[in-house]
Amino acid sequence: MPTPLSRWLWHGFAVALLAALGIGLYVASKRIDYTWRWERIPQYLISTEGEDQTAPFDGFVVVSDDGKLSMTALRGSETHQFTGFSAIVAGNGDLVFEGDVIAKTDAIGPGPLLVGLWLTLKISALSLVFALLLGLVVGLGRVSKNPAARDLSAFYVEVIRGTPLLVQIFIVYFFIGTVLQLSAFAAGVVALAVFTGAYVAEIVRAGIEAVPKGQTEAAQSVGLSGFQIMRYVILPQATRRVLPPLAGQSINLIKDSSLVSVMALTDLTKAGREVVSSTFSPFEVWFVVALMYLLLTGVLSVAVRRLEKSYAVQG
Amino acid sequence: MNDGVLIEARGIEKRYPNGVLGLKRASLSVKAGEVVVIVGPSGSGKSTLLRTFNGLEAITGGEIVVDGHVLHQRSADLRSLRQRVGMVFQQFNLFPHLTVLENLSLAPIKVLKLTAAAAEERARALLKKVGLSEKHDCYPAQLSGGQQQRVAIARALAMQPAVILFDEPTSALDPEMVGEVLEVMKQLAVEGMTMCVVTHEMGFARAVADRVIFMDAGEILCEDAPEAFFGAPKHERLQTFLRQVL
Ligand SMILES: Nc1ncnc2c1ncn2[C@@H]1O[C@H](COP(=O)(O)OP(=O)(O)O)[C@@H](O)[C@H]1O
Ligand SMILES: [Mg+2]
Repeated sequence: MPTPLSRWLWHGFAVALLAALGIGLYVASKRIDYTWRWERIPQYLISTEGEDQTAPFDGFVVVSDDGKLSMTALRGSETHQFTGFSAIVAGNGDLVFEGDVIAKTDAIGPGPLLVGLWLTLKISALSLVFALLLGLVVGLGRVSKNPAARDLSAFYVEVIRGTPLLVQIFIVYFFIGTVLQLSAFAAGVVALAVFTGAYVAEIVRAGIEAVPKGQTEAAQSVGLSGFQIMRYVILPQATRRVLPPLAGQSINLIKDSSLVSVMALTDLTKAGREVVSSTFSPFEVWFVVALMYLLLTGVLSVAVRRLEKSYAVQG
Repeated sequence: MNDGVLIEARGIEKRYPNGVLGLKRASLSVKAGEVVVIVGPSGSGKSTLLRTFNGLEAITGGEIVVDGHVLHQRSADLRSLRQRVGMVFQQFNLFPHLTVLENLSLAPIKVLKLTAAAAEERARALLKKVGLSEKHDCYPAQLSGGQQQRVAIARALAMQPAVILFDEPTSALDPEMVGEVLEVMKQLAVEGMTMCVVTHEMGFARAVADRVIFMDAGEILCEDAPEAFFGAPKHERLQTFLRQVL
């Protein structure tokens, strides 16, 4: 056990190493003449860009002294009153043509990165729910007494774990999705749930098998049925054991969800790509995207750790 | 059941899937109210014999009838049998995620369909009987080994079985806790409970048993009343065994 002082020294050492890494990265980026433009990033998180208000016909702009904005038509006597704008783009007396931008409305809303984060969150959460259900059923199939249930669940697990997720996504999206007329979002949920379900099934199986045999024997000896033994004796104990690996698998799911960006789905990763192509600031954007994934996975880890603590009483 | 015979095993054999013969032509009958103690060296088939009585091990030969259930037939209703045959394990096997009270009331509620209130009343009475009234809200991990085994006995009793099987109930206990568990078992014997007990506690066998059975290499070599069993052992291998354990 290190002394408190030396422990802090080691922590300091770790921080120093990380700082050196950061500086190295910065210096390296200078070498390739990379200009950091962090100021461009916030607008892609929170968008303040409002909508344009355009001229409904050709005519002249009239800005009154009290700030009212209207137009009179070039031909005829038509007028148009603008409302709800926050900034006027045209000047008093300007000749404008139909479709020209006259004013802008103010609207604070989520930028493309936050919209992408929301989609990632939605698709991950939904897939997780289905993956847990699927994994529980298949996991029970793996330990079932019925050979057919065992065969089918083993087949599913082996096929899914033996093929890349990206390939599975393509199959679901282009084949099953087309046959069943699935939306890209539904196809994404199906692919992620089916993929993660196989791993959840193995976790469930391991959790069930880790419960000592004596528990089943004791439960049999008081006359409980097979279903009751599973429901009241085995699964409650297995649940505690599977929480940590399930948390890890859920974190994997969030990260794996970035692969759905190959479909027409603007998740966080896809949003990142789009922002990069409009800012030409790949380093900043990808760092921010990484941080946002880290935020999601971090919140999940903390939540699961809480849950584990609440089980700790039973020793 | 003819003349109160609860367990009737005739020439039973147990061959494990790996080929090991755990039991060879074992025959035994246990009457209601009897206390039968089974002794023998490790690996002699004592657990195997006991576990055939509640169908935890299916026999591969012979015939066995327990409380009217014909166990060597495929149609045997093991669940209804097990409601009548309690079992107490060496490792207690309490349900660690349930409180003591829940351990005792789970099966009465789910199997006997007692109301929660009735099951709890029964559980509290049994906890009092085994001297653990205060512990109803504890989890098993919060109890000593001796206390856990007493809870396990109460759990078996909560089903109001016709017979209780004990498989080395004190072997996993620290020596100072053996007494409290044997005391509870003695009390049960006095009250007329039918019991089959595998144990190395020869003092218990001498004091409580109606009959003592000696097993070796999967066979029942001899059975006798305790005085004759310990005082004038007939079988040579039993003599050797007793010299080693006494
Ligand atoms: N599940 C099993 N599979 C294979 N062999 C077993 C199994 N259980 C017990 N045996 C074997 O059967 C014999 C009797 O075991 P057991 O009944 O546990 O003896 P005891 O309880 O007297 O120590 C031993 O040789 C043991 O190795
Ligand atoms: Mg044994």
